[in-house]
Amino acid sequence: MAVGPSVAGDDSTLNYSKHINYWRRCAKTYLPTQYTGNDCNRMMLAFFVLSALDLLGDLPTALSAEERQGFVEWVYRCQLPEGCFRPAPATNLGSQGNEENRIWDPVHLPGTFFALQILILLGDDLSRVKRREILQSLLKLQRPDGGFGQSVGEKDRVEGGNDTRFGYMGAAVRWILRGTVEGPVDGVPDIDVDKFVKCVQISETYDGGISEEPFHEAHAGFTCCAIGALYFVDRLPLKASQPPDDRIRGLTNLPMTLHWLVSRLTLTLDEEDAVDTLGDETDSAATCHDSHSFVKLGSYPSEGGKLSFLEQPTSHFELDWVGVNGRCNKIADTCYAFWGCAPLKMLDHLELIDTRPIRRWLLDKTQHVVGGFSKLPGDPPDIYHSYLGLAILSIFGEPGLKDVDAALCMSNRAKEHLESLPWRQAIVGEKGS
Amino acid sequence: MPQKFYHDDPEWADIEPIAQDDGPHPLAAIAYTDEYSEAMGYLRAAMAKNEFSERVLGLTEHIIGLNAAHYTVWLYRAKTLETLNADLKQEIAWLNPTALSHLKNYQIWHHRQTIIEKLGSPEGESDFISTMLEQDTKNYHVWSYRQWLVQRFGLYTEEELNWTESMIEEDVRNNSAWNHRWFLVFGVPRDGREVDEYTVQREIAYVQEAIRKAPQNQSPWNYLRGIFKQTKRSTEDLKTFALEFANVNKPDDIFSSHALDVLADIYAEEQKKDEAKKALDLLATKFDPIRANYWNYRKVLLDQPEVAA
Repeated sequence: MAVGPSVAGDDSTLNYSKHINYWRRCAKTYLPTQYTGNDCNRMMLAFFVLSALDLLGDLPTALSAEERQGFVEWVYRCQLPEGCFRPAPATNLGSQGNEENRIWDPVHLPGTFFALQILILLGDDLSRVKRREILQSLLKLQRPDGGFGQSVGEKDRVEGGNDTRFGYMGAAVRWILRGTVEGPVDGVPDIDVDKFVKCVQISETYDGGISEEPFHEAHAGFTCCAIGALYFVDRLPLKASQPPDDRIRGLTNLPMTLHWLVSRLTLTLDEEDAVDTLGDETDSAATCHDSHSFVKLGSYPSEGGKLSFLEQPTSHFELDWVGVNGRCNKIADTCYAFWGCAPLKMLDHLELIDTRPIRRWLLDKTQHVVGGFSKLPGDPPDIYHSYLGLAILSIFGEPGLKDVDAALCMSNRAKEHLESLPWRQAIVGEKGS
Repeated sequence: MPQKFYHDDPEWADIEPIAQDDGPHPLAAIAYTDEYSEAMGYLRAAMAKNEFSERVLGLTEHIIGLNAAHYTVWLYRAKTLETLNADLKQEIAWLNPTALSHLKNYQIWHHRQTIIEKLGSPEGESDFISTMLEQDTKNYHVWSYRQWLVQRFGLYTEEELNWTESMIEEDVRNNSAWNHRWFLVFGVPRDGREVDEYTVQREIAYVQEAIRKAPQNQSPWNYLRGIFKQTKRSTEDLKTFALEFANVNKPDDIFSSHALDVLADIYAEEQKKDEAKKALDLLATKFDPIRANYWNYRKVLLDQPEVAA
């Protein structure tokens, strides 16, 4: 197989054939035993595998029509009698499932979100999805404070954390099934959108990021999920071109959030760069994360600090590779290229970063020789990092990859298929796309 | 650990395991070990019967050891503990080493919270947290859990602040520790009252000292800017402080890119566009070139005052 097209004037390339091999192996053979810890997230892994093949343009070639239909059936087997999808067959009690024990195989928001995504990208029309029941479950999954939980437990108690990941998935499921239309649909009341937006607002942090709960530390994953959620409920800050309205909107200080997002770019690319911070409060290039090579040393650097400073290059050649971290003063990690940069795309501000050195970092440092991407240079590849690495490269405009909708984190081709479905068009009409 | 099977265990002879039904075209199928496959079959069977027993505690412990992210096994275990009126201190004693071998697991903290809530006391938790942070001083779950403890038991104390300070002393770039400090100072329930001026002054002095030690460290700069924004104070003092580390007219004596960033903002507020541009140019071209696009964007905003506000 030929190696894919490269970007003019840049030697770093995405090794298409290796990535296709990697993802076909994931789709066609058993995942290694080490994935047992993800046994209850198989719907998510399955989405990554199929969507990666879609982005690589390999979905119709890698999988026969029969295989694809077989996978659709597997997803529908995970649909619960009361609507929604379990995230894996692991919790299915089979013929012994009943009212008394359903709390052990409960309505599950991530299971539902990833199941819908898979059905969409495999071209299903969602006609067998219990849509009304899912919308009713969303009401149960929304907590009194406006946030969403993971699953519905005993006596309708909402279980799981209260972070923006579940808010993202709740908002996404609502958008998939009913666009941005507000108010009841098919006789099912809407979630409380205003309360949800307020819940996101109070998780904004003093430095401009967003955390899982008020006062927790700002985190790129939670920030990306929050911004995606606001996008799905159409409550991102208005752009200059949009007429003002009186709806509550999220991101109370957009300039600060942009500042926080671009601050995720870092030159700390190796674990060795990061551990040196411990116990060394002197600035030096070795304790440095971003600009330390360029600023002057402080007044009383330690001997070690002086030495490591002298050893570091002070020219800009090292800017060939720029990584992205998830929190302030943390090391770069492949998945944060997605979590940190996708929100900029959703906010129409991808131009605030130079994506080329980030692309080079992914392709030169974390792309793996067997295909896929690893978390850090030198680690083995895994499904999660391999997918998010591919998705952000697509957002950066990598030639030969299908373009990705940053909020849905899947191809625009798949998104357009969803938008073409007649039942959805009937709900969404003209305005709520 | 030796493998554990159930089919030849007389204690489980009465249970018919429920096999996993994956259908003919499974997605993301995992190469399970025989041990895990079998244990999951017994777990499903026990759950189907809503059995809450001592042996279920053993079974859930076994599953957690193999797949700590199984979301209902934790709920099942909690319900079993409750039904059996089990010794919860013993549960915590079991959880401690379990958490240490699953550092990135999230369910475990939720479970711990449930147990500590029932015990009604944070006794011993501080020591356990220290042990966890020795593995990873920035572990997100651990810091989140610590916030819950403080909120639940009203531990907005001098001791808590001192501990946080010791974490910052150990690593002045530990943003989790800085964030915890912010939570203790600004997150304490105050019935709508502002944080008193003495405390604000103490915080400013503390953070300024930390910046003087390591000026190219964004955590305390964010903290300092946060204080000024939160308390809506004049940025005059912030400007004076930032000038210690950067002067736009002395580009060879810049000690902190973050000081330039602060100055650019303040000059923009003061309508000193030329000064602001100088600061942003220095950032874009010399001191923080990885964000050049962003600094150049900030320069464009200077000429659009209504957007920049």
